[in-house]
Amino acid sequence: MKKSLIKFFILLVLFNFSYSIGNTKVIYAFVNGLVCDFCARSLEKTFEKEESVKSITIDLQEKLITIVLKKEKNLEDSKIIKLVNDAGYDVKEIKYEK
Amino acid sequence: MNIPIKIVFGIVLFMLTEVKARPVSYPGGWTLMLKNNNYKNSVHAHYSLSSYTSLGYRFEYLRENNYSLNAFQINRLLKRWNEPNSQANLYIKSAIGNANSYKKKNNNKSSFAGFFGFSADWENQRYFISYDNRYIEAGEIDSFYQQSFRFGIAPYIGDYGDLHTWLMIKLEHIPEAHQNLSLTPHIRLFKGFHLLEIGANLKSKIMLNYIFRY
Repeated sequence: MKKSLIKFFILLVLFNFSYSIGNTKVIYAFVNGLVCDFCARSLEKTFEKEESVKSITIDLQEKLITIVLKKEKNLEDSKIIKLVNDAGYDVKEIKYEK
Repeated sequence: MNIPIKIVFGIVLFMLTEVKARPVSYPGGWTLMLKNNNYKNSVHAHYSLSSYTSLGYRFEYLRENNYSLNAFQINRLLKRWNEPNSQANLYIKSAIGNANSYKKKNNNKSSFAGFFGFSADWENQRYFISYDNRYIEAGEIDSFYQQSFRFGIAPYIGDYGDLHTWLMIKLEHIPEAHQNLSLTPHIRLFKGFHLLEIGANLKSKIMLNYIFRY
């Protein structure tokens, strides 16, 4: 009985974990003009203020920002373009995790 | 010059500066720039209303003619060119305030003062070039024009959050100054919120600059 309960609990945790991952959207935006740490910090600060954004990572070599959204949240391309423009940069391309 | 002013100047001199002085930051960003070279010491703090406009306060002590400038400064990004691997900017800078002379012959004169100038830069992760100019008008106390050119090269390319290092050289020209040309090789270290520049011109005048941006 105790083993069954432990197995059930583990399955529940795994299910919850996979459900969370499955509902977390990852967006990749390639940005023109992203050439220095100040530029990167500018974009980081801008996206961190967005309610739908869980985290953001920036790759200066690839000029790429990776935006992880909160569960069940969305961020339109037009909004991403506006946020990047407001920070002073231009979006080259937006891709979504398959 | 009275003692408290000397203390303030001493602190400024100690902290020194000259900077990768992007005059506008990101919306809501605060920047503190401390600048020193053989001509002057200055402190400039600004707040960016948008990625196009910043408002700030500038204190500057101009050593050769022994006077200070207190001014409100507005900077405006006229145009930015964002390319896949580079960025170029054109800014306009202006300030309006008051100048105070410490020269005895000027009998501690005070005058309405201000300046106006342009700056332009281009950079990628390997190279940096900038040009900066301004005309200062301080009534009976002083008026002059200055311009500077800077070139930098990064010996390695770091990623976000790494320590970035630049080897740079700055040529400054002030036609009215006693030493009207100054060439200053220096090193720039840049990590996180902090940017530090250390160098010396060919007359061995030390340059030590600091920027904090948040």
